[in-house]
Amino acid sequence: MKLKQLLKIVLINIYHNKMRTFLTTLGVIVGTATIFLVVAIGRGGEAQVNEQYSRLNVGTIMVMPAQRGRVLDPLTKEDAELFQASQNIKMAFPILNGSGSMKYGNYSSNASYYGILPAYLEANNLTINQGRFLDDTDESKRERVAVIGAGLAELLTDGNPTEILDKTLDLNRRKFVVVGILNRMGDSGSPQGFDDTAFIPYSAAERYLLGTRANPTINAIAEVNTVQAAIQDITTILNANHLRGGSEQFRILDAGSRLVAAQETARTMSLLLLSVAVVVLIVSGIGIMNVMFVTVKERTKEIGTLKAIGAKKREILGQFLIEAVVISLAGGILGVMIGGGMVPLLKYFEILAIPSLSGVLIGLLFSVTTGVFFGFYPAWQAADLNPIDALRYE
Amino acid sequence: MNNNGRCIIDARNIVKIYQTPYEELKVLDDISIKVMENDFTAILGPSGSGKSTLMNVLGCLDLPTMGEYFLDGVDILKAKDDQLADIRNNKIGFVFQKFNLLPRLSALQNVMLPLLYRGVEEDEAREIAKEKLSLLGLGDRLTHRPNELSGGQQQRVSIARAIVGNPPLLLADEPTGNLDSKSSKDAIEILKELNKEGNTIIVITHDNEVAEQTKKVVFIRDGRLSQEG
Repeated sequence: MKLKQLLKIVLINIYHNKMRTFLTTLGVIVGTATIFLVVAIGRGGEAQVNEQYSRLNVGTIMVMPAQRGRVLDPLTKEDAELFQASQNIKMAFPILNGSGSMKYGNYSSNASYYGILPAYLEANNLTINQGRFLDDTDESKRERVAVIGAGLAELLTDGNPTEILDKTLDLNRRKFVVVGILNRMGDSGSPQGFDDTAFIPYSAAERYLLGTRANPTINAIAEVNTVQAAIQDITTILNANHLRGGSEQFRILDAGSRLVAAQETARTMSLLLLSVAVVVLIVSGIGIMNVMFVTVKERTKEIGTLKAIGAKKREILGQFLIEAVVISLAGGILGVMIGGGMVPLLKYFEILAIPSLSGVLIGLLFSVTTGVFFGFYPAWQAADLNPIDALRYE
Repeated sequence: MNNNGRCIIDARNIVKIYQTPYEELKVLDDISIKVMENDFTAILGPSGSGKSTLMNVLGCLDLPTMGEYFLDGVDILKAKDDQLADIRNNKIGFVFQKFNLLPRLSALQNVMLPLLYRGVEEDEAREIAKEKLSLLGLGDRLTHRPNELSGGQQQRVSIARAIVGNPPLLLADEPTGNLDSKSSKDAIEILKELNKEGNTIIVITHDNEVAEQTKKVVFIRDGRLSQEG
């Protein structure tokens, strides 16, 4: 029998068992939709990581104390100057980090602040929305001025950020004049992100807020291909300059590795979700197998008749296998469509999902594989029936 | 017996033994039978006589334990699975007691099936099937499904399916077993007519009245054949 006619008979059989077909297909629909969405969410996640880190210079090297809490031999501004002298390092600057209460008008918030040098702006690809950034005069004169992130500005002004410009911000009971507001940056891997942070001159942070508790980290910027050499230089300088513990008491991290790590986290997440989807499909495959077994039992007498009028083993096998594949493929197509329909819904819940052709293909491939794999045994059993046993079956 | 014609069935010393866990059942015991072209033979026997088993062996649905069987010159015992399927498709038309029509296919589709399994193009198969159904008075029932047809009509569809591929042998297993007396008569008349047109027919039955309508009767009892009852 020709494939076309076999397919026709299969479609007639499926058509006359609509409910059964639908129930069988349900698992495949869910499984395929899940796979499609997982692939889409995985892509979305990766895109988000890339987006978040796009503002982070991959040549950035962070040097920080290895221990939390009070440090006996902290990094200094001078360390940063020595780093900058290395030919492998374009720029190096110390950063002081602290947190405290920030008050403006009726609003207050606990937020972190950074004491920084003007070079910080460029090094972190930050851009100014309103006003200006900190400059060298602020630094040398220890001016009590601040530039704040877009998120923090909105928070303190109840959604009217420009209002805070040139006004006084109360930071740990010290008054700082807000001279600039940053554009919204998105999180860049720092614990709190730039958007919810205030930036003040390094010298001012040291003098007015931290005093002897000042325990800076240093960011050094190198070219991507000199990062490793720069890390070497930093280690050497630290060993020479911090005689008590040398470089051992500091952690040296480069942003490139962090990006890779974040990407891998996103990928691991997708894989995890994907494995869930595969489990769903396996379960639905067992469902298909069950239904196919029942179908074979139901139609045993018919199979006997078909064999009596000349159906070959492979034609019976083909018929039942095609039935399983058609059912699962139909489920797959429906699943992909439902998955596609869920993308805007996910967007509503702020989950970025990027549909892709590969997602469609992977989904369909899995659904058809499920159909073939779990449909094969019942189909083979049907084909292998002795014609006389099949005919006698009641 | 017409000894000048072509020999359709030549079965020699057929033995069929069923192995049960407790005993060996010899259902067919040294049966030899010859059927020539255009014969119309009844195999008559009570239930349990082995007539169904004989029909299955003659119909190539089951293989004998011992013996030789040539169907239209083909050595059945040497045939493989696929070849047996081809033989059933090309050489035999089955008419079943319970019609055995496929419930989800129309009368026309049911009759087309043997041709499709033979590889005939769909359009051609449809034309031939239509013709056979019209011949049997079902020209206006082509698209009906079996459950929309009476028993007599279903049996006529089943006969149409049996003859659609012009097989050299028609095997009818209790063809009137599930029919009322009028439909039974019709069915027998159809078989007689087909025989007149040159078809070779074997009817397996327990019913003397059916057997009387054929040209030749052989009796089967306890797995053995005899010419006398």
